[in-house]
Order: sequence, then C-alpha cells, then structure tokens
Amino acid sequence: MDDYNLEEETAFVVEDVSKIVKESIEGVIGGNAYQQRRVNQWTTNVVEQCLSQLNKLEKPFKYIVNCVIMQKNGAGLHVTSSCFWDNTTDRSCAVNWENQSMHCIVCVFGLAI
Amino acid sequence: MTGMEDYQNGNEGSFNSEEAETVVKECIENVVGGDDYSQSQVNKWTASIVERCLTQLVKQGKPYKYMVTCAVMQKTGAGLHTANSCYWDTAMDGSCTVRWENRTMYCVVSVFAVTVA
Repeated sequence: MDDYNLEEETAFVVEDVSKIVKESIEGVIGGNAYQQRRVNQWTTNVVEQCLSQLNKLEKPFKYIVNCVIMQKNGAGLHVTSSCFWDNTTDRSCAVNWENQSMHCIVCVFGLAI
Repeated sequence: MTGMEDYQNGNEGSFNSEEAETVVKECIENVVGGDDYSQSQVNKWTASIVERCLTQLVKQGKPYKYMVTCAVMQKTGAGLHTANSCYWDTAMDGSCTVRWENRTMYCVVSVFAVTVA
C-alpha cells in the first residue's frame, strides 16, 4: 500500500496535467475571438497559469510548458517534439484546443528530479 | 586560468544556447531549405527536424536531457504566437528558440536542456 502511494505521489499523471492545462486555457482565452494585440498576453498567461497549477501538485519534477496560438484562416500548422530523457520517469502531455477563431496547442514536459 | 573561466561565464556546466542555435539552424536548412510548403510532406519535415536536432545535440556528449519542439506554419497571413515557461534550475538549465522562414512557410524550433542530477 505504501509503495503504491509513493509511486502515485511522485509520478507524472497525464490526466491530471491535461485537466490543469485545459482549465488554464479556458480560463485565459475561453470565449474570446483572436485579437492580435492581446495574443501576446494570452500566451504568457496560459503558460504561467499552467506552471503555477503544476507546481501546486508538489511533485519532484522540473516542468517546461510550451503554448502556440494560431489564428484560423486556413493555414496549415504542424507541431512536433522529440525528447532525449529518462523513459521510466519523464513524461509529456499535449493538449489541443480550439474555438471559432483560433487554435491553441499546449505541450507540458515533466522531468523527474 | 581564472581569466579563461570568466570569459566562459565561469560555469562550464551551463547550457550554451549559441552553440545549440547553430546546430538547429543547420538542421532546419538541411531538411526544408529550398522547399515550398507542402501539406503532404510537412509531417515528415517536422519529424526530421526534431530528430536531427536531437541527434546532433546528444552527440555533444553533455550531461543533459533534451526536449526539441518544432512548429511549421504555412504563410497565409495568419498570426502565430508561441510562449514558454519553465520551472527548473536557472543556473544550469537553458533553452534556445530559432525562428526561420522562407517564401512559403515559417519554422519555429525550441530546444530545452535540463541537467541530469
């Protein structure tokens, strides 16, 4: 029982992180249409909010949060990532969000300390 | 000897983002330099770019874990913004972002390097 709890406390749980990211995105840009003069502030707010919520989980991880916001006008966009890390302890999670006027892609990388 | 250390910022272990930038620029040029945006190829391009960058970085043999992200976007006038935030050891860990473009597309590659304890 103890081992299971310890593992849970120190593991990167993709579902929890995904939920945090979705809530952060919704909180910052949910309901808004793409606006050039605000998008700089939005990307900053999304990453900062995600990071502070992740830190509250108090798990032994270093985090990297990456956010891309793109206006919808028919352009193609591809985002890929590749990682050289410890396969047993490190994880990533990518969340795709969109509304009528923009796409938002957030990637979280968690590296065990 | 002290002079040399100061010139190198006194910390041999910190991430050299200029060196990483050179590596990344070469990888991008090699994969998409001279090509026009092509929907059927872009998946392959982004995968090649990240894999190539990662291989070159790992070859340097430094004690880092790496994360490489690549975004390729067609030029049609749409706005694109990216932001990163990191919770890490600010003395030892680092990142570098390279923006590249040609006539038909933008390519943004970010490298994050985290020291292995």
